[in-house]
Parts: sequence; C-alpha cells; structure tokens
Amino acid sequence: MSDGIKRRDFLKVLGVSGAGAGLVGCSTDKVERLIPYVTPPEEITPGVATWYSTACAECPAGCGVWVKTREGRAVKLEGNADHPVSQGALCARGHSALQGVYDPDRLDQPMRRNGDAFEPVSWDEAESLLADGLRAAGNDVLLVSGRTGPSLTRLQEDLMEAVGGSRVEYEALSEAPLREAARMAFGTDAVPTFDFEAAGIVFSFGADFLESWLSPVEHARGFARMSGTDTEGEKGRFVFVGPRLSLTGQNADEWIPVHGGSEGLVALAMAHVIVRDEGGDPGPYAELLETYDPQSVAQEIDVSAEILEQLARQFLSEGPGLAVGPGVAGQSGNATAINLAVLILNAVAGSVGQTVHPGRSHLTAASAGQGSLFGAIESMSQGGVQALILHGTNPQYTLPPAAGFADAVGAVGFTVAISDRIDETAELADLVLPAQHPLESWGDSNPRPGLWTIQQPAMRPVPHFDSRSSGDILLALARNLDHDLGAETFYDYLRARWDELHQEAGSPGESFSAFWRQTLRDGLVEVSAPEPAAPALQTPDRALTFEPAPLDGEGLALLVYPSSRFGDGRGANRPWLQELPDPVSKIGWHSWIEIHPETATERGLRKGEIVRVTSPHGELEVPVWTYPGIRRDTVALAMGGGHTRFGRYADDQGVNPMTLLPATIEQPSGSLVHLATRVEIDPTGRGRQLSTIEGSDQQFNRPIAPAVALEALRAGEEFQDPEPDRLHELQAVGGFVPVPTDGEPGAFPLEGARHGEYDPEAHARWAMAIDLDKCTGCSACVTACQSENNIPWVGEEQMAMGRSLEWMRLERYYEEVDADQPGPVDIRFLPMLCQHCGNAPCEPVCPVYAAYHTHDGLNAQIYNRCVGTRYCANNCPYKVRVFNWFRFSEVPEPLNWQYNPDVTVRSEGVMEKCSFCVQRIRQRENQATLEGRSVQEGEVVPACQQSCPAEAIVFGNIRDPNSRVAQVSRDQRTYRVLDVLINTQPAVNYLRKVTFHPVEDIHV
Amino acid sequence: MATATKPDEKARERGAQTHPDVTSLGEVNVDILKMLSRPGKGWWILFGLSVAGIGLLFFSWGNQLINGIGLTGLNTPVGWGVYIATFVFWVGIAHSGTLISAVLYLFRARWRQSIYRAAEAMTVFAVMTAGLFPLIHLGRAWHAYWLFPYPNERLLWPNFRSPLVWDVFAVSTYFTVSSLFFLLGLLPDIAAARDQAKPGTLRHKLYQVTSFGWRGTDRQWHHFGKAYLYLAALATPLVLSVHSVVSWDFAMSIVPGWHATIFAPYFVAGAIFSGVAMVITLMVPIRKIFGLEKYLTTKHFDALAKLCLVTGLVVFYAYLVEFFMAWYSGEDPERRVFWNRVFGHYWWATWIMLICNGFIPILLWFKRVRYSIAALFVISIFINIGMWFERFVIVVTSLSHEFMPFAWNTYRPSVTEMGIVVGSFAWFSFWFLLFIRLLPPVAIAEIKEVLPPPMRPKPKKEAAR
Repeated sequence: MSDGIKRRDFLKVLGVSGAGAGLVGCSTDKVERLIPYVTPPEEITPGVATWYSTACAECPAGCGVWVKTREGRAVKLEGNADHPVSQGALCARGHSALQGVYDPDRLDQPMRRNGDAFEPVSWDEAESLLADGLRAAGNDVLLVSGRTGPSLTRLQEDLMEAVGGSRVEYEALSEAPLREAARMAFGTDAVPTFDFEAAGIVFSFGADFLESWLSPVEHARGFARMSGTDTEGEKGRFVFVGPRLSLTGQNADEWIPVHGGSEGLVALAMAHVIVRDEGGDPGPYAELLETYDPQSVAQEIDVSAEILEQLARQFLSEGPGLAVGPGVAGQSGNATAINLAVLILNAVAGSVGQTVHPGRSHLTAASAGQGSLFGAIESMSQGGVQALILHGTNPQYTLPPAAGFADAVGAVGFTVAISDRIDETAELADLVLPAQHPLESWGDSNPRPGLWTIQQPAMRPVPHFDSRSSGDILLALARNLDHDLGAETFYDYLRARWDELHQEAGSPGESFSAFWRQTLRDGLVEVSAPEPAAPALQTPDRALTFEPAPLDGEGLALLVYPSSRFGDGRGANRPWLQELPDPVSKIGWHSWIEIHPETATERGLRKGEIVRVTSPHGELEVPVWTYPGIRRDTVALAMGGGHTRFGRYADDQGVNPMTLLPATIEQPSGSLVHLATRVEIDPTGRGRQLSTIEGSDQQFNRPIAPAVALEALRAGEEFQDPEPDRLHELQAVGGFVPVPTDGEPGAFPLEGARHGEYDPEAHARWAMAIDLDKCTGCSACVTACQSENNIPWVGEEQMAMGRSLEWMRLERYYEEVDADQPGPVDIRFLPMLCQHCGNAPCEPVCPVYAAYHTHDGLNAQIYNRCVGTRYCANNCPYKVRVFNWFRFSEVPEPLNWQYNPDVTVRSEGVMEKCSFCVQRIRQRENQATLEGRSVQEGEVVPACQQSCPAEAIVFGNIRDPNSRVAQVSRDQRTYRVLDVLINTQPAVNYLRKVTFHPVEDIHV
Repeated sequence: MATATKPDEKARERGAQTHPDVTSLGEVNVDILKMLSRPGKGWWILFGLSVAGIGLLFFSWGNQLINGIGLTGLNTPVGWGVYIATFVFWVGIAHSGTLISAVLYLFRARWRQSIYRAAEAMTVFAVMTAGLFPLIHLGRAWHAYWLFPYPNERLLWPNFRSPLVWDVFAVSTYFTVSSLFFLLGLLPDIAAARDQAKPGTLRHKLYQVTSFGWRGTDRQWHHFGKAYLYLAALATPLVLSVHSVVSWDFAMSIVPGWHATIFAPYFVAGAIFSGVAMVITLMVPIRKIFGLEKYLTTKHFDALAKLCLVTGLVVFYAYLVEFFMAWYSGEDPERRVFWNRVFGHYWWATWIMLICNGFIPILLWFKRVRYSIAALFVISIFINIGMWFERFVIVVTSLSHEFMPFAWNTYRPSVTEMGIVVGSFAWFSFWFLLFIRLLPPVAIAEIKEVLPPPMRPKPKKEAAR
C-alpha cells in the first residue's frame, strides 16, 4: 500500500476532479450571468416571482401588461388589471411576446452587407458606419418607422429635424380610412374609440373587432358584457354585415351577407330609415341619405328592403346602437366612404357620445395611410433619398410586390435597418442593427388622451443577443453626428418626457422620483380629461362614392384579411401562434383559402386540395378549406404567412396573399386597398392533410353544446329530461340498486362516485364555470395555458397527424350558417379542457395510478409515474388528454428560458392534460397556510380565466356556496357536457349559449 | 395419451379409424423423428427470412425506443393502433393450442392426438409474440415493470382496478401454464428423440437434459399421467379467462364500440376461431412437406374445420348483435360508431372482416370443402386475415369516432408499426421453425396410444411404450 495511492489522496483527487467536472459541466460562455446568485440581488428571491408592469407592444391597442419574472427571466405575461384598456385580460398575441423576446432567430450582433451576404461587425464599427452613411447623405435622409410610442416617435422626429431628413410612419394594418372618415364627419383628425359595453345592439360592417381591429381585448370585454345574457335575461344583439364571417362574425346573432364594398350602402339605408321614420338628425347629410332609401339599396345588394327597415328599427329600439366597420379586411376602394356611412349611421341614431367617442381618440391606432410610404418610394426611386433608416417595419413583406419597395431601396445610397432580425426588409439594407425587444427596453404608450402607459424592461437583455434599444441607437447616432438631443441614453430621454407629464399630471408636492416609482409600479398614469362634447356631423369637404369600387380580374372576389394570430405577419416566427388553431378555420401553421362548400363542389374541389390562385398581379398555391361562412362569390386568405426570411418557424410556412394584390391606394385616406381583385381558382391535382384540430363541425344532437332561445329563457322554461326515470328504470333491472346521477353542481361527486381519500366535508372542490354566451372563441386562453403550463408545440406535421399538445381545445360547431340570405347565425364555441370529473373514466383504467383523484377534487396526472399506456386518453370521453409522442419539450435556446419553473417540463412518453393550474392552487394554499388563514374566494385564478377577455371563465371552490363559481353554476342555463350520457360528474359547468332565434333543444 | 387405463377395444377401433395407414408403432417413431434430421434448403430459407424479420422487429423497436413512440401513426383520439390489434390477434392465436390439448383431452376427443403438439407449440410462441406488444406500445417501455406488484420502499402498487393489470396477470399466467403443459407433454417424446440421437452430439445432450431422465417406467408414466391430467384441468379455465380479460381491456372502458357485455364470449369465440384457423394454416404445409398424411388425415382437418365453423358462427353472431345493440341503444355516439365502421373512413377494413370471418367460413358447411385440404388452407388464410382486421376494426374505428365529434380523427399505421407487426410474424415463425426441427412436432406417444395393438417388430425401439 505504501507506494500505491492512499485512500485519503484518492478521495481528495476524486473530490477535486469531481468538483472540476461539475464546474466544467455547468459553465457556459456567459458565466458572469450566473454570478449574481452567489450574492443574490435585492428584490429577487429564488423561487419567488417578481412582477413588472409594462406595455404590450404587439399591436396598436395599447394594453398594459404585467410580466412575471423568475430569477430574472420573463416567464409569463398577464393583462394589467388596473389598465383601462386591457382590464386584466390579454390576447394570444400578447402572450406570445415572450416568444418574441426569446426568439432564437433574433439577430445576435450588428451585420454589414458584404456583397450578397452579411458579415458581423462590432457595435463601435456599426455606429461609425451608420454615422458615416448619414453624414454622406446630407439632408436626403428618410426614416421609415413602424408605429412607436410617443417618446420614441418624438426622438425620431427630433433626430430627423436635426439632420434635416423626414420621417414616414408605415404600418401594414392601417385605420387611415376610419381616421379620414372621422375627420370628415366630426372634424376630429383621429381614430375614435368605441364603447361596446354601453351598447345595446352592435352592427359590424366587416370590422373584426374581436380579433384584429383597433383594440380586440378591450372590445371583447365590452362585447361580452353587452352580448352575454345577464341574470335578468338581458342580452344585446349583434349583427354582422359583410361577405365573410370572421371570428367576430361567428359571434353574430344575424348575418347580412352582402358582397364586399357594399357594406356602406346597408348603413346608409339604415340611416335613411332612422331619419325618415324615427326623426334622426342627418345634419348636412340629409340630401345624401335621401338617395339611399331601402328600396333602391335593396336593388343593388342581395338584401330586401323589409330587412333593411327592420334592421334600422332594431338599431334604434334595442339601442344604444353601435355601428363599426369596415376594418382592414374590408378595405375596399371606397373604404373611407363606408367608414363615413357607418359614422353617419351612428350619428343619426344618436350613438355619438354614447357608444362612439370621436373626442376620446384611440391614439395608438395605426392611422397613417400607406400612401405616404408610396410617396417615399417614388422619391427613393428618383434618387431623392441618400440614406434610409428602417425601424421596426417590414414593408418588403407587407406591401404588394407591385409597390416596388425593393427597387426603391436599391436606389438609395445607404440603408440601415434597426430590427430584431434580418427580415425581408432588413435583408435589403447595408447595415442591420439588432434592436431590443420591448420587454427588454424602455418605452411608453399613450393609448387615449390622458392615459399613459410606461413600458419598462422586465428583464435584462437576453444574453444570447448583443442588442441595443432603438432609442439608444438613434441617440448614439445623433451624438456621432454632433447633434444634442438632450439625453445620453433613451432612458434619460424618456424620463425627461415623463418629467413633463409629471408637471402636468403629478399630484401637488409629489417629487418626480416618487411619481416615477409609482408609475413603474402601476404601469400607467391616468389624467382625468373631460371628454369633449359629442361633435355634430360636419359638412363633408369632398364627395365620396358609396357604391362598391370595381375589382380587377375575373373570378371570385378575394378578401385579404389580417390574421388574428399574426396580425400583418410579425408574429409568424412564434411557434405558439403558428400552432394556435386559427379561431375560424382551426388550422395551424400553414395557410388555407376559404371557399364556400357549394362553390367548391361546383368546381370539384375538396377540403385539403391544393389550388392555384391567380390574380392579375400574382399567383400562389394554397390548400382549400371549405367554409359555409363566406359568400359563394368570395374567397378569403389570411395575412401573415409566406415569409421568405423571417425565422425558422415562419419561413416558407403558408402563403403571403399580398403578392396577389395591386399596389392601389384608396383616396382620400391613402390606405392600401385590400379588397381589390378577383382571382381564378384552378386545381393542381395535389392535396394535403390539413394541419387542423377539427374533426367534425357537427355535434349530432349530442349533449355537448346546447343553446336556449332568449324567449324560452325569459319565459323560465325548465330544461326537462324527456324521460327522467329512464336511467333509474334501467339501473333497477337485474337487482341493481340505482345510484344518483344528478344533483347540484356543488354536490359532485355524488354518492357512489366518491373514490379514494375524497372527503366532501373537509375539502374544497375546485370547479369551473364557463359561460358559452360570453365566450367569443378568441383562443387567448389556449395560448395563456400554453405559456403557463410549459406546453410545447409539435410542429405542422405532428399537428396534421392530430398530436397537438394544447390542453385547451376551442371546439366550434356550426348550427346555423347561411351565406345566401340574411338570417340568424348560430355557431357555438366550446372551450374544452379536462373536466376534472368526479367520476373520472381515466382514473380506474390507469394501471400505475398515474391518473388519480386528489382530495380536493382535482383529477391529477403524475407525469413521472406515467408509463404511457394511453388507456386514460382512450377512455376520456372529452378527449382532453394529450400525449408526448416525442421529446417535444427540447426547444432551441433561448426559447426554453420561457419555461415556468413552477410546472414540470414533461418528458417523452407521458400523458398530460389540464391540471386546473394546480401550481397556482398549491401556491395560494401554501401562502394561506403561512399566513394562518384559508384560501379566499377569488384568490386562485387559473391562466385561462386570467387571460379571458370575455370574462367567460370563473374558477373557485364550488363547495363554498358564496363563491362566484357556485353562484354562476346555479344558473338555469348550467349543464355539464356529456354528463347525462355517461355520468362523469364533471367539475366544469357550462352555461348554454343564448340565441335570439328558436333552437332545437338538446337534452343535457 | 398414456394413462393407467387400459386401452379398450373401442379406442383401438377409433385409432384405427383415425390413422388407417399407420401399420406399426415403430413406424410412428421413424416417421416423426425423421423430421428432426438435417433441415433442407427450404427450411433454411424460411429460417433466414425469419431472422431477417426479427432484425426488422428489433431495429424498428430500437428506433422507436430511441426516438419516441411518435414514430407510430397514433394520435390523440386513436391512442391504440395496430400494436394492440396485433397483440389481441396473437393472444387469440394462442387460444386453440390449449383448447385442443387440454379441453379436448378432458373431453377425450381422440382426434386431437395428431395435432395438439404443434398447436401447443403455436400457443406458447404466440403468447411469446403477443407479450412483446404491451411492451412495444408503451410510451416509456423502460418502466414496464411498474405494472407488476413488486415490493418497493414507497409501497407503490399497481392499480388493481385497471384491466391492464388484469391483463398482465392473465397473459403471464397463461404463458406459464401453457409452457408447462407443453413441456410436460413433450417428455416421453424427447426421450424417444434422445434414444435415437447419436450419443455425444450436442443434440443428444440437449435431449438428455430436457427429457429429465425419462425412462418410461411405470412409475414415471403414472406420475406423468396424473400431472398431465391436473395441468389440463388447470389450463382449461385459462382458455376462457385469458381472452375474457383481454376483451375487458376494451369492454371495461366507456368507448362506444368497446363498451359491450358481449365482449368476453365474443372474444373467446374469436380467439378459438382464429387459433384453429392458424393451426390449419401451419399444419397443411407441415403435413405436405414431411409427408405426414398418415398421421394428419382429412378427418383431422374435418374436425378442425367443424370447430372453425362453430366458432366462426358465434363470431358472426356477435358482429350482428353488436350492430343491433348499437341501433337498439338509441344513443347517437354508439350508433354512429357502427355506422362509421361499415360506411366510414375504415369501411374497407370492416368489409374485409365481415367477408373473411362472416361469409367465407360459410363454405365450411359443405363436407367437400372440409375434406379438401387446399380449400381449407385457403379459407384458413382468409380467416387469419379477417381476424387481424377484426381487431384493427375494434381498436381503431371505435377510438377514431368517440363522443366529441370535434375531436374525431383518423389513424394510419406508420412504417415503424408495420415493420414491428411483420417482425412479430417473423419472431413467431423463428420459434416455430426451430420447434419443428428440434422437438417432435407430432405427439409420438399419444398417437401410439390410439393405434391398434402393436406388432412389436422392433422391441428395442419401443422405449416409449
């Protein structure tokens, strides 16, 4: 032993090398990022979430959000409950901002053009290149920017003023026609705001206000409050006028399927009737309205005069009425005229000031027409621009190719793109500077007069990307060009701006730092500004044509609408959004063309068949999806697909319908015409499996999604089992003792179904109530759930196989859709999630107890016990159990940074499903225990409920008779899906949809 | 079978009727044991194919283990596919062996003597094949042992309410008992093979070990007879229980198309039906290749065909009852599943099932068909195909069309799945090919028992008697 290794030495070596291996194993290139946790920074407790208030920058709505961070990483977004726009809710696009900040395809360092390729340069070099480029350009500098917050906008303007250049704002989805119409009608040069909650009846002339138009979250909340049936049996009506039922249209009670571009005629005819019969004040439009009497309008469109008269009377009698439209999807050649017609209708019905607020402008709305960019393109082509700065905008992708943007950029001497990635537009630039994501940088937003939202960074910049905030880039540029814009960093610049606001809005005596701290905490500052008196209609300063503008080409009218998932396409590299089934078609990842089933049959097309779509301006190939909610003479394509250089999840995914459009500008608003052309549809002979979650769109009279007519509900008709004793009679056969199968929602599970350690007296029973009369099918809950519960995406091929992992499935059943004539619409949405059955079919069949029932009524799934027999999923009648067919949770860095540390990341081969956000329940319980109290009502809010803009979901302890969930579940409309058929005794109570037309009762 | 009872005159007559062309007892030894001589080219080709098929099986499975069960075509509503269908198929095949050897033994149906050995071997190998599938289909096959009630420090037990746990017990019990029964019955015949083998060869050593020192003494015969009888009695209920339990995997669920009380008898009948068909499929070529026409007479095949006919009718009746009950229930989910079976996405599978199992076996009513070996062979193949499709139809069509229409989906087996299914046939034939070359595929001792009194021309060879 003496010359061998001593035991002690051996252990020492072992210890040291082991530690060394551990260090090596854990080290990364960014070791310094790990160091703070040796000496924990203040305010960060490992394991405890820190929340930051900031502003959502995904669309121009201007919602306020709360960002949940864990150990310095943003992991979840929720709506800021104190913010008047979002009111606590958040849409799917808002949730997906996390995948924007952790997008693996973000640019990680500045890039300089070298021939056809890009080569990396240092920031110092990039900044001097930028300064040199601008210096060389002299005054011929143009800055094209997307919609930015007020401070950044002012910085851009300051800079352009200093260098003598000009700034053009460009957004693909612009509400310029609405702004122009509001200016003509009311003299307010701004987009008005609309109050859906205050309305009694809503008419949408094509505006997709629940999905993409202006402020979807705010509208959805107001709309659900308006149209949802309250306890008094009051319900507001919603009529949709337009060629295609968008998600918004699917929520309508009636559909007037006029062809695109003629929506304004309906509005004018209604206004005519109101003025003629009900004494509405037409102001300077009396003469105009005179010509649009229902009879003559009825001759031009497929709607009878009687219906138009009836609609007009309803608009007034069920009021206050709100008419909105037409939105981007219906941006036809006469968009301003249609907007004007709709505003006139509002005005004559007396809605201005009640539901339409021209004085309370929607300041964040993108309302600059594309026309100004078209002007810039012309000037660029003529050599009038020497240096071009592109900031946060992607015109190369969002403009029709005929606009000639790429050629124009080619004529510019020096082009720099400030962008988070090399996208289609940045690809044209000579220099690309990686910009920070809004969640990493400072900014602000001013959605309404008197409402200011601060956008504060919720985390340090993601270390994978050497990015800078665009404000800092512009300030550095100004410094290098020897201009003083009054601040070193954008943070200082912003604070200086907010100091001005402090003078104006801060309470007396409050120091700026106190004001600032309070602002950061609240996320917003609200200054009560008295709303100006409702303006009267003004004399128009030009004549407009209300008749539909002619379309190019032959064939079917092409409707190009903004995607509710991707907007104009900027969300396309986010797998959550790609995988989120489109709320209308239920298709994820790829594009589709919507065709009426009859039209498809006439042309011999089947669902999934790939067709060639040809317009006079371009062609593309896309699979068919047949949809009864579109006119027979119209087809529709969603924007947002078909990127060529945007990121791994977006590229070559779907098609870009803008390539089919001409570069036509509507006058006087200057916005791009979306409804401009007709297309020919030719089969290619090929087909594909659609990547959809939809099996059948019919419910076959099963107890799934019943409805009740408002009349019947008001009359207090009871929902009776037609054969109440049938089950008992059957059970009593052969000596069996009947067991109870029905009871109060709070009594579940009933005697005979109480398995395991379930003690109904001692424990809570967590339960949910979902009001299907409020649910708009927007699918925000699906992405909220995905974000909270670490649900991976599976990709197009797997989704097409039916392996989507989402825990919530928004089912959509057609009951009544008729595209040929005006009439009722009845499309039912059903958010389907684990029903946490009291008598769960999945539990007894699991051979290893991976599926079991907790003492508080949860149907739990133990991932690390699961062996993957999939028997539970087979036996689940609701089909809410999903299986990890592969290691889907292994995602590219840094997307995995988003994972919620409170929730297990599931491995391959295990079953998973909705847990009722058990991590939130347990966290609240633990906290309550620490504080020596019991969990309070309303304390536990699952991610889906938190996110729901329509307030359709209520969660709580149903054993507590005073809880909201118990109160809501006692509603007459309450039923449980399939329970009557198979006695599963679910914990999710649904409230029937209420219709205005009589419906066939499904016994539930 | 040799027992303590004296072979009476009647039995001798029956034996004479069963094997009229066998003239001596010694001839039996010679004819049967010659099958164990050097295999020919055909055997090697088949064996090579089987080994290749096993390669495919384990390659596909290994690939699936490494990459994930997602290599199958399964999806969210259709969580079980051809793996489970093939599992049930093989368990079904495993049925007739024990039925023929144990049940017919107890009923003293003497025609079983010529067939039962091969049928039993088929049973054991079929269970061995079936047993692979529950492992293969698991999402996490490496945790399969969690289904067994093994003692562990956390006191975690399997869920005895789950039919899958019953399945584990049913199949493992069946495998144990049928293997024991198979090996026990082999003892005298292995001893005969041992006595014929050249001493010192590997084959001789193998037989020496596996014959457990059988010398054919009275005492050994006495114990042997008792043991065989008791094992037969023990195995008999298993014939009914195994497939009943397998059927409960489906019937205990609430899936429309699975949840039916008829499932246990329906599955047992189906199992015997398919098993007997497989016996015919296997015995026809063996008879032809090894010239066993003397031992496997048309009468044997006639008896098998009758068994097929009876069970086939039960199965067809069960199909009709299922359709009737679906209509009679008045419930849309139930009705639509069955409507969809016949006219929906998988109509072709259902019609293959109905034609192969319902209509083609009607031919067996005709004596001429039952006595035509070629016709029986063809019909048996149809039944094998039909019974595989029956399981496919039950598993897949039901799952694809459940309660929530919005979640309906279809399923298409993947290359990996088909590789494993094909590989399972190779795995089975691998063992079966080894069996016919290593162990006497026809029961020597028992055939002798039903033959007329021996002439004893070569007393030395009469070791088994």
